[in-house]
Amino acid sequence: MFEEIIAHADPHGDHDTIGRRLPRIDSGKRVTGEAIYPADFQLPGMVYAKLKRSPHPHAKIRSIDTSKAMELAGVLAVTTADDFPELEPGTAVPMGQGSCDVWMVGQINMARHKVFWVGQPVAAVAAIDLHIAEQALELIKIEYEVLDAVFSIDEATAPAAPALYDSMRTTGLDTPSNKPTNVCSRTVFKRGNSDSALANSDETVELSIKVDTAHQGYIEPQSVVAQHDRDGLTTLWVSTQGHFTTELVTARVLGIPQSKIRVVPLEIGGGFGGKVFIHGESVAAKLAEKCGRPVQLIFSREEVLQGGSGPTAALQGKLEIGASKDGVINAIKSRIHVDAGGLPDMNPGIILQVFAALYQTPNLFLEGFDVVTNKPRTEAYRAPGGIQAAFLMEQAIDELSQKLEMDPLEFRRRNASVTGSTMPAGTPFPSIGVLEIADAVAAHPCWTTPLKEGSMPRGRGLAFGYWRGTSMTSACHVTISGDGRPMFTLGSVDISGAHTSMAQVAAEQFQMSLDDVYVATGDSKSVGYTDIAAASRVTRTMAAAVIDASQAALAELKKRAANLMQLTAEELTYDHGSFRTANDNGPSMTVADVMKATLTQGAIICQGSSSNLPFGVEVGAHVCDVEVDKDTGQITVLKYTAFQDVGFALNPPAVEGQIEGSVVQGLGWAISEGFDYGSDGRLRNASLLDYRIPTALDVPSIDTVLLQKPVPGVPYGLRGVGEVPIVPVAACVANAVARAVGNRVTQMPMTPERVFKAMTAS
Amino acid sequence: MSKEILECSVNGEQQSCLIDRRDTLLELLRTRLQLTGTKEGCGNGNCGSCTVIVDSQTVCSCLMFAVEAQDCEITTIEGVASVGELHRVQEALIKHGGTQCGFCTPGVVMSAVGLFAENPSPNESDIRLAIAGNICRCTGYEKIVKALMDVADPKGAD
Repeated sequence: MFEEIIAHADPHGDHDTIGRRLPRIDSGKRVTGEAIYPADFQLPGMVYAKLKRSPHPHAKIRSIDTSKAMELAGVLAVTTADDFPELEPGTAVPMGQGSCDVWMVGQINMARHKVFWVGQPVAAVAAIDLHIAEQALELIKIEYEVLDAVFSIDEATAPAAPALYDSMRTTGLDTPSNKPTNVCSRTVFKRGNSDSALANSDETVELSIKVDTAHQGYIEPQSVVAQHDRDGLTTLWVSTQGHFTTELVTARVLGIPQSKIRVVPLEIGGGFGGKVFIHGESVAAKLAEKCGRPVQLIFSREEVLQGGSGPTAALQGKLEIGASKDGVINAIKSRIHVDAGGLPDMNPGIILQVFAALYQTPNLFLEGFDVVTNKPRTEAYRAPGGIQAAFLMEQAIDELSQKLEMDPLEFRRRNASVTGSTMPAGTPFPSIGVLEIADAVAAHPCWTTPLKEGSMPRGRGLAFGYWRGTSMTSACHVTISGDGRPMFTLGSVDISGAHTSMAQVAAEQFQMSLDDVYVATGDSKSVGYTDIAAASRVTRTMAAAVIDASQAALAELKKRAANLMQLTAEELTYDHGSFRTANDNGPSMTVADVMKATLTQGAIICQGSSSNLPFGVEVGAHVCDVEVDKDTGQITVLKYTAFQDVGFALNPPAVEGQIEGSVVQGLGWAISEGFDYGSDGRLRNASLLDYRIPTALDVPSIDTVLLQKPVPGVPYGLRGVGEVPIVPVAACVANAVARAVGNRVTQMPMTPERVFKAMTAS
Repeated sequence: MSKEILECSVNGEQQSCLIDRRDTLLELLRTRLQLTGTKEGCGNGNCGSCTVIVDSQTVCSCLMFAVEAQDCEITTIEGVASVGELHRVQEALIKHGGTQCGFCTPGVVMSAVGLFAENPSPNESDIRLAIAGNICRCTGYEKIVKALMDVADPKGAD
């Protein structure tokens, strides 16, 4: 199905625009502040909304009295769950190969009957200014029946733990139980017999870790503008990773047909997985409908962190791994628990695959549970679960190589998955370049140059990372303007330079310059359904769609040119904006002339789409040097190098930028980013001062080494890029710390206190 | 609450604005003057997205009340480039790929403009220190620092 697209997407040979180091085509508006995010978007008569949030981590909502708030001068509308249809648990809309749980997203927007975490919205107001809206929140009276709450996996799984959901029963158990539980599901991958293989291994390692909740940390808080016009159409101007999902979900939460809602994506100020779901879009729409004015809702940073959106899953788990003395892995056995937060269904399957991807073993037993706790519902964050799982797996691999007295790179190489090896789910691996990356590391000065001694203990760490990514569906269309230039409308938002890379692909296809093509994202009513910008999928799959549309448009142009030139299409070839015959001195015609002659005889509109493109699995290897302050436990990262096989770099600086940013996000979680909940279920560090995202002073220069081994069957051989570079980071730092101080740090983030404790443990 | 008149200069234009005493300088700029290039990322001085220059000092506009800006000269991101010509800091950020989502970028530009006004040839440590109050979640700072090194020493960088 993709053969024709692939034929027009050869990564080899000379290219005019793809593969070149080009600045983003939309940088100008970013560096001048002209880029418009929903918080910047204004409509005449617009008013301002604020959400009233739960102060309790677990409580029944007895009653809500909004009458006093409505009486305050300047308040135009108040809303609660009563204004929304009650959805059945399990209500879902399609998303990628799976679905999006609308009941769950509805609860993130507005609690009904019960609250499950501090910060869950329970009511909202719209007022003529923000000060009045804030005053009005104080006037909403809510009666709660406070319930016992659980804040950790251990508390939630204790025998006498209060159950968040009376109806919850663990799915996937060998022996089903009929008792209420906070364990939502059990997921298992197995082959062979890991217990007997572990018992028969020459060396084994057993490691347990705990990872704190962290936040995606996008700098733009959630924001939306909603309008409900007199003809009954609701329009949302949003910051989202997927405006079609926003439309599907919001329509269901509001109980309106999709023909009555339009979603316009504006700029997105960072998402990293945290802007897939809606977080108040439906509430703003309801308020706009109730007050008849456009409504803007912007979260404060405290709201973002204190239960408004995100965070990502805490995890704890144990891994046992065994190998023969010549360094061949016999068995991997792991059991993990994922903290999903206050709403169920955070399937750990995607996380478990990290334990069984990069290295092959005949005996495998992986078991994952997702657990509900009275904390915010967790959401995806860049390779969701990958960094947590690698913190366990890659430390265990490192420790086993130490026990075997084997070079950690060589140990990995002996067990590496190669193309055709078994994937976690049992299917064969598509093209995977673990060995090639190992070769690149082995030859690089970051690995071969001895680590210089310092006044404090130093160590060098190595860790690998794997992420599968996915493909889902992407659509675009192209029209040809009156001067012959192609105008593309994409179904994807631009979260990581997609407009630029797609303009490069379009320019390459049309053999024109970047300035000759127009690329923009269409709103949800002006382009075909496209899945979310997530899972490292947009560049690969949208490139396929753009090529598909381009080839169709060029064929139509050729037909028109042939007609005008009184030749057959077969006699013409396309060359840099002109159609000509094989004879160099023969007639030719530019696309501008073709369109000048035929524009008013009917539009050229050609569509492109791609669904279920082969995976572009991502593999990376990271090397870092650290110094550990032996008096305080503070880790300083001295040097960091990230290797990644990207298949083909459409725009190398954009690819490097993804890796550099990803590494620094990983360093944040590795060293300083962790949610600190009090015994009342309130987040105690709900600010960017106390929740410590790295600054420019906290991180070293990040070196990137791009390997380009094109993936067969994918346009230009592109791999996913943006997710895997966060996966190995914490393990890489942990392995360096272990080699510096002799002990392993098993809690993440590896704060000075935790490192100090590990260092001084006997 | 009663409103009052504030007089100040913003990007070289004299402004008389009706303000609420509770307004921050950021709210004055974004809401009353519609200068939305200055961003709010945290509202309490931790992220630097709202950085502007007030009387030659870079400040977080979310930490200053509008009433404190009486008679001040304020430069925002909208006042940095002239028509048809970007500031060299902006040019360098574009050239080196130092902007991704763009939300922190106006604040980074203002901190850098403030740095170069004070120190025309900063080294890497000076640059990292100058933007240490600007949190960027996308770039890992690598290409921002490279861009500003290029501004500091155009012959030194590639």
